[in-house]
Order: sequence, then C-alpha cells, then structure tokens
Amino acid sequence: MILAGILSPITVTHYLVVGIILFVCGIVCLVVKRNIIAMLIGVELILNGANINLVAFSSPQLFASGTAPLLLDGQVFALFVMILAAAEAAVALAIALQFYSRFGTVDVDQGGQLNG
Amino acid sequence: MEAILPQLLLAAWLLPLLSFVVILLAGARMGEGGRGAGYLATLAVGVSCVLSIIALVWWLGHHPLGGHGGHSEVLTGDWYTLAQFESLRFSVGYYVDSLTLGMFVMVTFIAFWIHVYSFGYMHEELHDVHDPFVTGADGRNLVRPGRFHRFYQYLSLFCFSMLGLVVANNLFMVFAFWELVGICSYFLIGFYVERPSATLASNKAFIVNRVGDFGMIIGLATFLFACGTLHYAMPGNASEHHPGLFSIVKDATNQLQDKNNAASSHEGTPTNVGHEKAGGSSGLETANKIERNRALTPVLLTLAGLALFCGCIGKSAQFPLHVWLPDAMEGPTPVSALIHAATMVAAGVYLVARIYPLLTADALLVVALVGTITLFLAATMAVVATDIKRVLAYSTISQLGYMMLGLGVGGWVAGLFHLFTHAFFKALLFLGSGSVIHACGTNEMPAMGGLWRKMPWTAATMLVGCLAISGAGIPLVIGLSGYYSKDAILAQTFLFHRMNPLFGWMFYVALGVAGVTAFYMFRLWFLVFWGKPRDEHVAHHAHESPRTMVAALVVLAVLSVVSGWTVPGTSWGITSLLEQSRVTPATETGTLQSAVALRIPDEHASHEHTIHAWVSGLAFLAALIGFGIAAVFYGIRWLDPEDVRQRFRGVWELLAQRWYIDQIYDAVFVRNALRLAAVAAWIDRNIIDWLADHAALSVRRLSQWDDWIDRIFVDGAVNALAAGIYDMGIRLRRWQAGKIRVYIMWIVIGIVALFIIGTIYLGIGANISRG
Amino acid sequence: MDATAIFFWLLAALAVAGALLVVITPHIVHAAVGLILALSAVAGLFFLAGAEFLGAMQIMIYVGGTVVLLAFGVMLTARLTFVRMRTTADQWVIAVLLAAPLAIILLQSAWAYGHLRSAQVSSETRSMEAEAVSATDLGLALVGVRPQVDGASGLDPRSASNRATMDGYILPFELVSVHLLVVMIGAAYLARRRTE
Repeated sequence: MILAGILSPITVTHYLVVGIILFVCGIVCLVVKRNIIAMLIGVELILNGANINLVAFSSPQLFASGTAPLLLDGQVFALFVMILAAAEAAVALAIALQFYSRFGTVDVDQGGQLNG
Repeated sequence: MEAILPQLLLAAWLLPLLSFVVILLAGARMGEGGRGAGYLATLAVGVSCVLSIIALVWWLGHHPLGGHGGHSEVLTGDWYTLAQFESLRFSVGYYVDSLTLGMFVMVTFIAFWIHVYSFGYMHEELHDVHDPFVTGADGRNLVRPGRFHRFYQYLSLFCFSMLGLVVANNLFMVFAFWELVGICSYFLIGFYVERPSATLASNKAFIVNRVGDFGMIIGLATFLFACGTLHYAMPGNASEHHPGLFSIVKDATNQLQDKNNAASSHEGTPTNVGHEKAGGSSGLETANKIERNRALTPVLLTLAGLALFCGCIGKSAQFPLHVWLPDAMEGPTPVSALIHAATMVAAGVYLVARIYPLLTADALLVVALVGTITLFLAATMAVVATDIKRVLAYSTISQLGYMMLGLGVGGWVAGLFHLFTHAFFKALLFLGSGSVIHACGTNEMPAMGGLWRKMPWTAATMLVGCLAISGAGIPLVIGLSGYYSKDAILAQTFLFHRMNPLFGWMFYVALGVAGVTAFYMFRLWFLVFWGKPRDEHVAHHAHESPRTMVAALVVLAVLSVVSGWTVPGTSWGITSLLEQSRVTPATETGTLQSAVALRIPDEHASHEHTIHAWVSGLAFLAALIGFGIAAVFYGIRWLDPEDVRQRFRGVWELLAQRWYIDQIYDAVFVRNALRLAAVAAWIDRNIIDWLADHAALSVRRLSQWDDWIDRIFVDGAVNALAAGIYDMGIRLRRWQAGKIRVYIMWIVIGIVALFIIGTIYLGIGANISRG
Repeated sequence: MDATAIFFWLLAALAVAGALLVVITPHIVHAAVGLILALSAVAGLFFLAGAEFLGAMQIMIYVGGTVVLLAFGVMLTARLTFVRMRTTADQWVIAVLLAAPLAIILLQSAWAYGHLRSAQVSSETRSMEAEAVSATDLGLALVGVRPQVDGASGLDPRSASNRATMDGYILPFELVSVHLLVVMIGAAYLARRRTE
C-alpha cells in the first residue's frame, strides 16, 4: 500500500501528510524543549505545516478535476500566515530577550511567576 | 413477700445519701482530720453492699437461674409519686430484674473496696497538705487544710446517684441521677481544686457530658411526645390502661411487622400470617393504642433511640465525646478507679442495655459503629501514652467501645458481661496504678521500671489485671474473666459479620484491637515493673503500699480471675444471671432493607461451639502476638522502641496528639465559644451599660457596633468564602503550573479529546470522510 | 513516476528530515539549521504545487527573515548552558504519548480525504494543463481586483451581494500592513534595554 502510494501520482494527500508531519514535529518541539527559542522554532514548524495544507488545497495540479477548492484564497491566506509568522517571530523574540534579561535564562520552566 | 425487695433496695440506695448528708453537716468535726467521715461512708456503702447481696440472694431464691431470657421477670413499682398528669406520671420508682441487682452488688462491692483503699491513698488529706503541683505567688508550694471528709462526702453522693440511676424505673429519674453522677464526677475530678489542670479537666468533663446530655433530653422529649410516658413499664394492673414504654414500642413494632407480613402475603408469598392481636381489649382502647402508635414511626423510634444514645456516648466516653476521660485522670486515683473506670462510665453501657427494647436495628448499628471506632482510636492512643493513668484511661475507653460493640451487634449479655468483668479488672488496674503513683510520686512510666522488687504485691496483682484485660486463658478450657467476656463479644461480632458482610470489618477491627490491648497493657507492665530502675531517685523512694490498699488489690485480683467462671456443677455465674433478664431489641432487621440489608443476629446463635472455638482461637492468637511484641520491645528489650518511633515519627505524633481530636475541638468549638463569650462580655460591658448611662451616644455606638458586626460577621463570611476559594485555587494551581509546556500539553490533549468525542458522539469525523 | 514526483519525494524527505532534526537535537544551533532545511524544502514544495510566488516569499520571509531573527536570538542569549538543553526521558515519554494519537487522528483524516479524491480520479481523466494561480493574480487580488471571479473564467457567476464580500483582499492587506507596523514598534519597545 505504501509502495502504491509512492508510485501513484502526487496528490493532495501527499502534501497533507508532509504538512501533518511538520505540524506534529512542531507540537512535540513545543512540549519537550525548555529553550524558549527552540519553542519558537517549533511554532514556525507548526505554521509551515498549516501553510502546506493551504497551498495544497489551492493547487489545481494536485486535483484530478483540474481545479482546486481554494485556488487564490488559499494562497492569499498562506501569504497572510507567513506575514503574521514573521510578525510573531519578531515579537516573540523580543519577549524572549526580555525573559532572558529578567531571569538570566532561556529555560521557560524557570519562569514560573505566572502560576496561580 | 414481694414487698421486701423494694424495701431492701431502698435502704441500700438511701444509706449513702444519709452518709452524705451527715458528712456534709458535720464532716470536719468527725474525729481528727475528719477520719470519722471515712468510717461512716465506708460503713454506709458496706451495709449497702450487704443489703444488695441479700436482695440478690432473695431474688435468686424466687427466680432460680438457668431459665432462658426473653420473658424476663421484672418487679417494678413506684416508691413516691412526684406528680401525676393523667397518664403521665413523674415518680421515683424501682425496676428490678437480675441486671439491676447485679449492678447493685457490683457497684456497692467495688465502691466498698475503693473506700477501704482510699484510707491508705488519701491519708495525706488528714493533715495539712503540701501540694507540690501548685506554686503560690511567693514561689513556695501551697499548703492547705486536708479535705479527707470532703472526699468521702463526694464518694457517698456518687454511690447514691449511681444506685439511683441503676434502680430507676423511668427515664426521667434516670436523667436526674445521670446528672447527679455527672456533678459528682465534676467534684471529684476537680478535687485538687487549686491545680489549674484539675479545674480545667473537671470543666471539660462536665461540658463534654453536657453535649451528650442535650441529645438525651431530645430523646426524652421524643418518647414523652410519642408515648406519653417515660416509665419503662407500669406496675400491676395499670399496664392495661397506661402501658409503659417497652410495651408501647413492642406494639408499634408488632403492628409494623403485621403490616409487612400482610403486604408480603398480598404479593403472593403466603408466609406466616402475622399473629393476630390478642383479643380482650375494648375497641376504644385499641383505637387509643393505634392513635398513639401512629406517632411512633420506625424512623422516629430510631432517631429517638439514637438521641438517648447521645447521652450514653457522653457518659461512656465514646468516640466523638471521648475527650474528657483521659483528662479526668487529674482526679485522685481511687476516684479514677471507681468513677472513670468501673462504674460511672459504665452507666452509658447500662442505659443502652436498659433501653434495649426501645432500640431498632438501625440504631443498634450506629451503636456498634460508634463502639468500633472508639475501641480502635482509644487503643491506638494507648500505645504511645507514657502517663500510666492515661494508658489505663485509653484502655477504659477502648473496653467501653467493646461493650458498645457487643450490645450493638445483638450481644446483650456479652456486652453487659464485659461490663461486669471489666469493672473488676479495671478497678484493680487503677488501684494498682494508684499504688505505683503513691510509691513513686510520678505518673510517667519512663521514670519507673524494676518496681516489682520493691512492691511485689502490686506487681503481681497488676499482672493479673493485665492478663485479665488481655483475655488470657487456655482456649476452650479455662481463662481469666476477660477471656470469657471478650470472647463472647467477638463471637457475637463474628456472627454479625456472617449475617451482614457489609459490616464485617468491625469484627476484624475488634480482633486486631484485642492484640493491641495485650500490647499496650504489657507495655505498661514491663515499663513499670520489669527491668532495671531507670530513675534512681524514684526507685529509692518506692515502697509497698499500706495494708488497706494491698487488701483491696488482692480482693479485686481474685475477682478479676474468677468473675468469668461458672460455679462447677451448676449454672451459677454472671452470664446466667444476666441471661435471666435478657431482652431483645425493638426490631431485629433494619428498616433500610433495600440499601443495607441489616440483620441483628440472635444471641444464642453465637454460643454455637464451632463459632466460639474459632473466634476464641483467633482472639487468643491476637493477644499472644500483642504480648510477644510488647515483650520484644519492653520485656527483653531486643528491639529499641525509640528506633520505631524515629522511623514512623508522623504516625507516632498523630497518636500522641490523640488523632488531633482535641485540637480540632479546640479550634472549632472552644475558641469560637470563647470568642462568642468575649463578644457577649463586650456587649455586656459596652452596650448594656452604655444604654443605661449614655443614651445620647446611642447612635454613634450603634454604628460602631454595626461596624464591628460588619467586620466580624459580614467580613468574616466574605473572608471565609474568599479563603474557601483561595483553597480551591491552591488546589487548582497544580493545573496552572505556569509551565508553558504543560499548557501546550493540555491543549493537545484537548484537541485529541475533542476529535474523539466529535467522531464518536457527533459523527463529525464521518462527515469529514464523507467530504 | 515522473520528474514532479521525484522532486516531491526529495523535497518532502528533506522537509521531514529537517523537522525531525529540530525535534531531536538538544543543540539550539542544530535546531536552527534543521529549521532552515525544512523551510527551504517547503518552499520547494510550494514551487512544485504551482505557487511560485508563495515559494519565493517563503524563502524571503522565512529563510531570509525569520531564521535570521532566530539566529540573532540564539546569539543574544547564547551561553554554554543554554545552547544544549537536554530533554529528560519522562518528557520524551509524555511527548510521544501526546504526539502519537494526534498524528494518528490527523493522518486518518488526510487518508479519508485522499480516498475520496482517488475515487473521483478513477472516474475522471487527469488534466495536467490545469491553470495555476500566478503571481499576477495574487497581486491583483491584494489590491482588490480578482479577474478569476470577475471575469468569465469558468466559475459560476455569483449573486451581487455575495460577490461584494469576495471582491479582493484589500482590507486584510491593509490590516496586515498596520499590524506589521504595530509589531515593529512593539518589538522595538519590548527589546529595548531598560534604563533604570
């Protein structure tokens, strides 16, 4: 079945699977990493996984019918996601630097001041 | 002929009162230091004892032993009627059966020997007393005149009250003497009134008993309302028209059973049709009866019985109200022996036995549960106590728990049997401990040790007491008194366990605690008498006690051994004496049948040989293990108890602090009561006076008061709420760990859970796959 | 298997390898390298899927911008103790327990979708000359013109009211612009050195 999946023409499912792998890797990254910057990297992976989905659903080549469910909308949203990811990275890095200068560490477990 | 018995008992009952009155009026002038008062009181109680024995013998002559209970023969009547309102009568009367007479003999006998013992123990009171526990403002110890006559005065009053409680034929009279007994206890605990600890302890005993008595008053009122009388049974022909409590309750429960039977036969299972009411009563009377019984629903009966039981909880120091008894050890040791071990605390057990026909199966279950909890808690506390009298106090509480358990599981004779045997051996143990304290001048067991060389009589008699309370004996052959009575309770509990598996744990608790009992009793004995003296100063001063004290010890030791026995060749013994007046509870099956299938077993079933042999062997094994552990730790000192104490410091602390029950009461009740009292005092001083004096300032002060209410009550409520929410928050903060990664974890778990729920329950997954 | 497929598998393998490297390595610099690898491969996938403009943007914004930003972050906070932060075993257990069900349910949905599609594929002929979305379309959409919708490109004509809401992306575009501005200011504010 896997061989059949490899040999068959590239469909939207292939893209989806790649996106899922990136997404899950990002989640795991968020859970296991204590370094705040590593966690940001995980967030980027998650966003990329989502972006792959958007692009796949907007790409007519991947659909037998010759047209895609999203077309232009998917790509525009993917673009917005990228822009917001960049913005998020900027702000999050600024926060990370603040965290570092306040606690003297990038270990998020040390920042327990918000607990109830 | 029948008339002589009440006269005998009346004389036996009133002699201590006479002694009390005489000592009250002329005590200080009776001989040097009031020694004559002691003679008078001892004489009075001695004659009482003789009269009681004569009454018992007379009774046995007319009602020979060996018959079976159930239709117990009772002699009841009124000596003096205080007031009569139609059918309701308040009177001083007697209700005599073999239990009453047995209690009479037991109380007067032990009291007599304690009177004798006190001549030795209290001889210091004959002169001016130098109290080492009280230090005056000038730094010197207090010197006060002796109070020898006062001591005997209270003892006499106590004997009178206790006998009145035993002989009473109605609950009203029981209550009156119940309170008298309580006040005697108060006086005697606070005998060393200059010691703050004694005053506190007497107050504590009185107030804690008050709590239980409040429930008892409710029970009295309930029975008065539902039955219209407080007499157990009415004498002679009057019972036809104005039946006593027992027959009213019996009617009510019979009616209930008839109804149940009718219902079950209606359903198509023709079991035995309810026995028809015996004819002969007129229609009007039957109507009256039904009218009266309608108020007495099973639930009300259960609750009323439990309310009466509240009084017994207080007096017999059962679980929630047991806190007063250990502190009551502040009193002189003979008092502890007489009141807080042998007789008064047994009054609660006696009352439960007396009102047994009023108790439903559900109420008895509560009695058994309270007894089980008590015997367990008290035994665990005794394990770590170091004060010799406190060990015995906890042991008393624990044994009272056994009695309650015995009664609660249907062992009427078993529970009372233990009451009698316990009275002997616990009085012995207390008198022995008094002898030790007298010799050593301290209560602390770690300061003693090796005393058997110095005081062989005390050591030997104490050993007998320890063996008796542990239930030592050769299984199935012969044993000390405790062996018989404890086995009877355990056998009955075992039977209860077989019929009600849900409450089987009570048997195992009771069995385990039997081992614990042996452990702490022999721990006491080994610590005090065995090994080498640990404190040279104490050991040097130790000496055997005066002859009066030793005599009492020996007599009680003999009785501790033999009181469980039956005279060979006959059926003469305490069990058969009790068996004669055995009664059955109001109902033998629980009313909550669907929820808890409760069934009180018949007592005779527990006499079955196989059960008895089995339980007897187990109990013996438990006691042997307890003894073995005590010997290993304290006898041959193979293991050091200090190691165990260090290792299990938390448990040890919990037990040493008596499960923190006192602290809880202190925090919940005492502090708040004191605060309320302070508030009341404040109001008294500042509001009432001020209203009289400064009416013009009323508005301003009122606003202050209001502000105060605002702060204490309104803010208090808000603060309490806030504190509650804060606590909840503290508990919830585990989830708000402040750890980002944990949050993410929960988000993912939430996603997965939502997806699964959506797939399974909402079919969203199916929709997705359908496109 | 044609060239598209070969490239797809190559790029997909690179992306997955990069993502796994990010997860597994305890070294923060290695993780950043893994991220670059993954992002570049994803850009390639975008090209393959016909989204050339997005692919270009991916390289510019992500690989060129975000990763550089991250690299700065790494350098600014770099101390030897933080460069390597090992994850404890229990954390890995928790992570695996967490990730496995998530991956399973996501893959299951992807498969369900693909299964549906392949059923349709078998009934239809696959047309490789499908018209892709060009960068021009994207740019026009962002300034408010959508020839694919407005013109007659084979899509169903919609009702006037419906079309009004679908006309281009000029409002989101402006919102994003303002958002970027705010973010720039905010980041500068947050990252400034505190003067006591």
